[in-house]
Amino acid sequence: MMEEKKSVLEQVAESLVIYNAALSAVGGEETRGIGWLMNLLNTYFAEAGEAQAKGRPLAWINFAVPSEIFWAMDMVPVVVEVVNGLVAPFGPKALEYIDMAEKSIPNYICSSCKVLMGAMLSGDITAPDVLVVPSQPCDSNLAMYSVASKRFDFPYFCIDMPYLRSEQGTEYIAGELKKMVKFLEEKTNRKLDLDKLKQTMEYSNLAHEYYLKISKLREAVPCPYSSLEILAEYPAILCMAGRPELVDYLKKRYEMTKAKVAKGESGLSSSTEKYRLVWIYGAPAFDLFTFSWLEQEYGAVSVNSMMNNFTMQPVEDISDYDKIMMGLAEKLKLMPMTRECGGPWEQFIDATIELCRRTKADAALFGGHVACKSNWAIMKLVKDKIREELGIPTLILELDVFDPRVTSSDALRAKFDDFFATVLRK
Amino acid sequence: MSTLEELTALSRNPVNPAVNEWKAEGKKVVGFLCTQVPEEILYAADILPVRLRAPDCADTTSADVYMSHLNCTFMRSCLQYMFEGKFDFLDGFVCTNSCDHTRRLYDILREALDYPYVHLFSIPHKVGDEEVTLWHRGEITRFKESVEAAFRVEVTEAKLRQAIGIYNETRHLLRELYELRKSDSPPISGAETLSVILAGNSLPKDMYNQMLRNLLDELRQRKGISKYRARLMIAGSGGCDNPNYLGVMEELGGLVVTDSLCFGSRYFWEPVDTEGDLMLNLARSYLNRPSCANMTDRVVERGEFVKQMVGDFKVDGVVFQRMRYCDLWGGQLLYMEHEFKKSDIPLLSLEREYTLGGAGQLRTRVQAFLEKIEG
Repeated sequence: MMEEKKSVLEQVAESLVIYNAALSAVGGEETRGIGWLMNLLNTYFAEAGEAQAKGRPLAWINFAVPSEIFWAMDMVPVVVEVVNGLVAPFGPKALEYIDMAEKSIPNYICSSCKVLMGAMLSGDITAPDVLVVPSQPCDSNLAMYSVASKRFDFPYFCIDMPYLRSEQGTEYIAGELKKMVKFLEEKTNRKLDLDKLKQTMEYSNLAHEYYLKISKLREAVPCPYSSLEILAEYPAILCMAGRPELVDYLKKRYEMTKAKVAKGESGLSSSTEKYRLVWIYGAPAFDLFTFSWLEQEYGAVSVNSMMNNFTMQPVEDISDYDKIMMGLAEKLKLMPMTRECGGPWEQFIDATIELCRRTKADAALFGGHVACKSNWAIMKLVKDKIREELGIPTLILELDVFDPRVTSSDALRAKFDDFFATVLRK
Repeated sequence: MSTLEELTALSRNPVNPAVNEWKAEGKKVVGFLCTQVPEEILYAADILPVRLRAPDCADTTSADVYMSHLNCTFMRSCLQYMFEGKFDFLDGFVCTNSCDHTRRLYDILREALDYPYVHLFSIPHKVGDEEVTLWHRGEITRFKESVEAAFRVEVTEAKLRQAIGIYNETRHLLRELYELRKSDSPPISGAETLSVILAGNSLPKDMYNQMLRNLLDELRQRKGISKYRARLMIAGSGGCDNPNYLGVMEELGGLVVTDSLCFGSRYFWEPVDTEGDLMLNLARSYLNRPSCANMTDRVVERGEFVKQMVGDFKVDGVVFQRMRYCDLWGGQLLYMEHEFKKSDIPLLSLEREYTLGGAGQLRTRVQAFLEKIEG
């Protein structure tokens, strides 16, 4: 019997069901928060899946691009890395896409790009109405999407970002965002309404405030979140900034977390927190169970990751268009991974040291995605500085975030076994 | 010794008698990566710009302590040369954010080595529009100010105009050299041409210009190469600075008649206007030259430049080479293979390391490609 062909977004919807099960399995009795999050993501992806059929433009965007502008223009922004990340862990499709892509591009291109390129070459995903990426954080991002836009014929816009951070640079990025708005207006035949943008920014700011409060609460010992809960919020924060539903979710989540911290409750249901780990770069998205295995086997909670280290403040002044654009430009600069990987190495190490210190980490985990050449080039500098400043070890793992064929789950766990037996013995 | 032999000898090492002589006069030498650095600024400050290369680097043990096996061997070789002290004659470095590997060299330089002057020249990643050009003008101005402050010199408008004029002359002379290669019997091979260009990477340009004039005179008298199986163009990523790499192709009968390389045409194709705002002219020219794959809005134009070359130089096939782990050029394949197939232009896609280790494999691939072209 021939297998029914499923679009990538249908696959994501199926993945979310499995994701929910994985999260609930480790969440014990207290799974309300996870349920809320899954409802949120299900609603969002359903909206994305129906967008084009309903005449709403679908925008593919990189994780750092401010989704608020797209929501304000009644478009649906889909963060491509989120889609790839959700397709990757469940079933063989992601690997098929990677193999398909490698017929046309080198294997050392980022697998996040390869999943999407393979899906496009397979015809499992329709072209977006527009695609927007910034010029940072990496060469794969810079190279692949512009090329794909020409190969598959859809409009593309690059937000150019200066390498060195400065006030002038923020103004330049704000100018780029304004050009992006003009591009979107031209390609989608709709105008950006300032009042709608302001309202979207209000929601974004509210969500932001709650997120910062939750982040603060998560610094508690024991950590009130399980590892997977922390990682699972990433897609919602990126895709739904500017939506009231995200505010509702984070508000409820904040209240729940506050209560847990007040009672000194851990996010772990079946083990005790013994170690606090911070993923200072990538992590095995292909195997979410590694995180719960770490909890169960060693009482090691992944208290945060670079990707989830949203530290920027809400956009203070949203009284006019220019100020909003300046605020969003500042936000873009400080988005996790863009901040760490898009500029000189001080940006990486400063944010990493601050994160590890704030979360009281016992060890840093450098989940070195094989495609991230820029991070591999500073890995020694980073490891040495963390040891020097914080006195904690860094475990270097060579892996492909989306492809278990590079380093398998078993191989990763063997590395952890060695690490806990030798370096981290308590 | 003919001028060609002289230039070939000078191309073998970034340090040459002219560099030593320059240093002996008490003048400064600054290394740079990559061709997007406007050398004219340094030259106008009476500083000799030397483009970084590590041509004989066979081992990257010291560099590998900092960079990983996932970083390109061109950059690791340059870093190795630094650790070995082979760039100790330099008074500073200018790096760019042209790619992930290059920009991280800037970080390692500052943390692990002790050079008196290190500057990051930030480039945009799209040619874009007037705002991008103006921003780039600002970066060039900051670069000029940094050079002036570090070396206590003044880059006056007159000096800059003169430097641009000298560099334009180089560009003009190299274009003339390429014109000769359009002939059915080109008087110079691809490997020889690459040597000529490499020599210019670490020679004072006024001296180099005189040598180029002599070379052109000699080549006009030289018997052309008429025995070859196919006319090839070589395109792709940086780090392609080994004449022997082209030599392998040419030994098999594939005469390299043109290129789209940063150690080739992309370095000198566009002149800089000498009238009006010189900083703006530099910004315009450097942004609008045939681009590296790091210019994200120039995918089609890069392909068109190659196609134009194919027509002008009567090219039978394009060798598209790139360094292993070069995402920027590797990604271009998705478009180029597709486009060139549509245009019926034979394309050979090759991955390479900086050192020419796989000559046997290269020979096999090129031989097969030539047979395919011959039908």
